[in-house]
Amino acid sequence: MAGDLVKSNEISDSGQTTSVDRTSIVWLHRLTVLSVCLVWPLIWVGGLVTTYDAGMAVPDWPGTYGYNLFLYPVTTWLFGPFDLFIEHGHRLLGAVVGFVSIAIVIAAFRQERRRWVVGLSVAILLAVISQGALGGVRVLLSDRTIAMIHGCFGPVVFVMCCLAAAVTGPRWVGRVYREGAWPRTRALGWGVVLVGCAAVLFSYTQLALGAQIRHVQPWTTPRMFTALVATHITSAFVLWGLTLVLWLLVRRCGDMTLSRPSGWLIWFVGVQILLGTGTWIVNYGWPTVLAFLPVGEGFLVQSKGFIDSIIVTAHVAFGSLILATSAVVLLQVFRQRYLAKAIDSGVRQLDSSDKELSVGSSDRISSTQDPVVASN
Amino acid sequence: MNALRTILPVDFTVGVILVTGLMSIGGCDSTVKQFPSNRVHALVVETSRDVPTDAAMADVEQVVTAWFGTPEKPTWPSEWIELPAARQLVDLDRLQRASGRVYSDKQNRHFGLYTEHCVTCHGLAGGGDGPASLLQNPYPRDFRAGVFKWKSTDRSAKPTREDVSKLLVRGVPGTGMPSFLRVDSDDREALVDYVIYLAVRGEFERKLLDDAIDELGYEDTRPEDDASLTSLVGLSSRNDEAASVPVALTVAQDRLNQIVDAWVMAPEQVIPVPDETGFDALSVERGRDLFHAVEGGIVNCAGCHGPNGDATVATVDFDDWTKEFTTRLAISPEDKAAVKPFRSAGALRPRQIFPRKLSDGVYRGGGQGETLYRRVVAGIAGTPMPAAPVAESSSQDTKTLSPQQVWDIVHFVQTLGGVPVRGDALKSAVEDAESVEKGESR
Repeated sequence: MAGDLVKSNEISDSGQTTSVDRTSIVWLHRLTVLSVCLVWPLIWVGGLVTTYDAGMAVPDWPGTYGYNLFLYPVTTWLFGPFDLFIEHGHRLLGAVVGFVSIAIVIAAFRQERRRWVVGLSVAILLAVISQGALGGVRVLLSDRTIAMIHGCFGPVVFVMCCLAAAVTGPRWVGRVYREGAWPRTRALGWGVVLVGCAAVLFSYTQLALGAQIRHVQPWTTPRMFTALVATHITSAFVLWGLTLVLWLLVRRCGDMTLSRPSGWLIWFVGVQILLGTGTWIVNYGWPTVLAFLPVGEGFLVQSKGFIDSIIVTAHVAFGSLILATSAVVLLQVFRQRYLAKAIDSGVRQLDSSDKELSVGSSDRISSTQDPVVASN
Repeated sequence: MNALRTILPVDFTVGVILVTGLMSIGGCDSTVKQFPSNRVHALVVETSRDVPTDAAMADVEQVVTAWFGTPEKPTWPSEWIELPAARQLVDLDRLQRASGRVYSDKQNRHFGLYTEHCVTCHGLAGGGDGPASLLQNPYPRDFRAGVFKWKSTDRSAKPTREDVSKLLVRGVPGTGMPSFLRVDSDDREALVDYVIYLAVRGEFERKLLDDAIDELGYEDTRPEDDASLTSLVGLSSRNDEAASVPVALTVAQDRLNQIVDAWVMAPEQVIPVPDETGFDALSVERGRDLFHAVEGGIVNCAGCHGPNGDATVATVDFDDWTKEFTTRLAISPEDKAAVKPFRSAGALRPRQIFPRKLSDGVYRGGGQGETLYRRVVAGIAGTPMPAAPVAESSSQDTKTLSPQQVWDIVHFVQTLGGVPVRGDALKSAVEDAESVEKGESR
C-alpha cells in the first residue's frame, strides 16, 4: 500500500481506476475557491443593489454613462451617489468574476484530465456570461421580471463555483471510502439521496419565492402575495426539517466532508429564518403573529435604513449559501455512494476470480488505519 | 461521474421549470397602462341604489383617465379647475417624477418614487390594496375616500400639505408605514404631491360614479346626449366656448372643484391649539376624572380605551373603509357569503378596529401635546374615535369641554404613556440640585 502517494484514486465512470495528480490541479482548485470567494460577495452587492432600488442607477450597459466599464472615473464612482457606487461596483465585481471564470477554463484545459470537470468549468464561464447578459438586459429594458431572473440565476452560478471547488479540492481527490470509520457506520441509501435532492429543490424554490416577494409587481393581487409569503414561510420550516433529517442520515457516514456541512445547514436555515423574520419586520412592520413580544409595540419601519438594508441583503445572501451548501452535500452523498458502489463491485470481481488477495484487507480502510488509497 | 451526469441535467431542468414559472407568475414588466378602477365602490353603489353600474363605471373611467392620465403619464386637470391655488395644488413635474418605473440619474435624483416606496402597500391607484396590504395590520390607507387620519385639521377636512409631509418624515409607529426621514426632501415632496393627486383622483372617481347614477341618469345604458360622460372625453375648455356646456361637464366640473377646493381650504381648517395649561399633578388628576367620566362626565374615554387606557374593554367596531361595504349596506362583516362579492371586487377582509392601548405610550399619529389636543378635539377621521365637544371660549358648561379640560385629558393620557408630570420633574430637579449643594457644602 502506498499510503503517502501524491496520486490518489479516482474511479472512472467505466469502473476502471485512473489517477488524478492533485498537484497538477492545485491552481484550478485555487481559482475555483477564488470564484466562490468572489461570487458570494457579488451576490451581497447585487442584493444591496435591489434593496436600494439602484438597479437603474446606471442607465446604459455594458458601459457606465458612456464610459468603458473599466475607465469610468474612480473618483466619480467612489464619491458620487451611493446608488451609482453600488451599481457600478456590482458590475466591476461581476467583470472580475468573469476574468476568474476564464482563468478557470484555461486552468481546467491545461491541468485537468477529468473531462466532466473541464465541462463544468466551461459551464461556469457560460453561466457567468449569461448572468452578466441578464443583468445588462435588465438595465436596457428596465425590466423588473428580468431583474428577478437575474437574482435567481446568481445563486446557480454560485452553486456551480462551489461544486467546482469541491470536485477539484484535495478532499475530493484524496478521498476514500472508509467503511467502519465508526462502530455504527451506515451506508448511504436512496433515502439520503432523496432527502438531499429535496433539500436542494426546496432551497432553490425558496430563493425563487423570495425573489417573487422581493420583486413583487404592483398588479400582484393581495391574495397572490399572501399565498407567496405563506408558502415561503411554510417551505422554510419544511427545509429546516429536511436539513435535520439529512444530518441525522449522514452524520455517521464516515466522512466529515459530508456530515459537517450537513450540520452547518441546520444552523444556516435557522439563521435564515431569523433573517427572514427581520426582513419582514424592517420592510412591513412588526407582524401580528409576534404581537405577544413586547419589543414590537410601536416599532417604526425606517425607509432606507442601513442596518435594515443589511438584514434584507443578508437574507438574500444566506439563501444562496444554503442552496450551495445543500448542493455540495448532495454532491458528496453521490460521491460517497459512488465510492461505496465501486468498492463493492471491485469486491465482487475479485471474489469471482478467486483471487487470494482479499479486498477487505487491502482497498477497504478500517478506522484504525491511515486514510490511504490504493494506487493503480 | 454518474453523479454529475444526474445532477447537472436535473439542475438544468429544475432551473428551466422555475424560470418559466417565474416568467408566467411574474409576467412581463410591461407598462401599467391604466389605474385599476374602484370596483368595490361600484358594487357599493350598485347594492345601495339597486342599479347596475357597469355603463356608468366604464364612462367614469374614461373621464378620469382623460383628466388625470395614467400611472405612466399622470396629468392634472388644471383647465377644469377654477381656483388658481387649486390649479397649482400639485406640481406636474413632481407627479411625473413620482410615477412610473424606478430609476435614478447621475445627480442621484430618484424617479418612480411611488413605485419604489409606496405601491407594494398602497396599490397603484392608492386604494390601500397593494400586494402586501392583506398582511398589514392596520391595512394601508385607501386614499381614494379622501379621508386621512393623521392631520391637524377638522375631522371632516382634508389634511394640509404639511400634515402629509410630516407624516412621511415621522412614519406611523406600530404599523407598516415607514419613516422616510432618510429619503431626500425633494423626493418626499414629490411623494406628497402624488398622494394628493391619487386622493383627488380617487375621490373624483368615486363621487362622479355617484353623480352618474344619481344625477345623470345612468342605469343599464348611458343617458342620451349631453348627460353622457363620454361627451367629456376629448373635450377641451379652449373649444368653442360659445357652445352649450354639456350637463355632464357641469356635474363633473362641479365635483372636481369641490374636491380640490377642500384641499386648498385645508390650512384654514387647522384646529387652533390654545397655550398649554400647567402640566402638573392637579391637571393630571382632573384629566383622570374626565377620562373615566367620573360623575357622568362629558366624554368617556375609558369606555373604549379601558380604565387607565389599558384597552381591556371588549369592543366590536370597524373603520369607515370597512363599513362602506358592510354595515352601511346592512351587511354584517362576519357574514362571509354577503361580503364575498365585495372581496372578489378587491375589498380586503373585514377586520375589527381596536381602541389604542394608551398605557403603551405608542401614538400612531404622534404623541406631542399639541397633536393629542387636536386628536381629542377632532377625534380620528374614518374611525370610531369621536370628536369631543369643545367650547370655543373658556366658559364652563356641562355639555362641552373647555380648552383647559382638553389639556387635562392630554396630560393624563401622556402620563399613561410614561411621560413624567412636569411639575414633579421640576420638583425632583430642584430636590436633586439641593442635595448636590448640601453634599458640596459638607
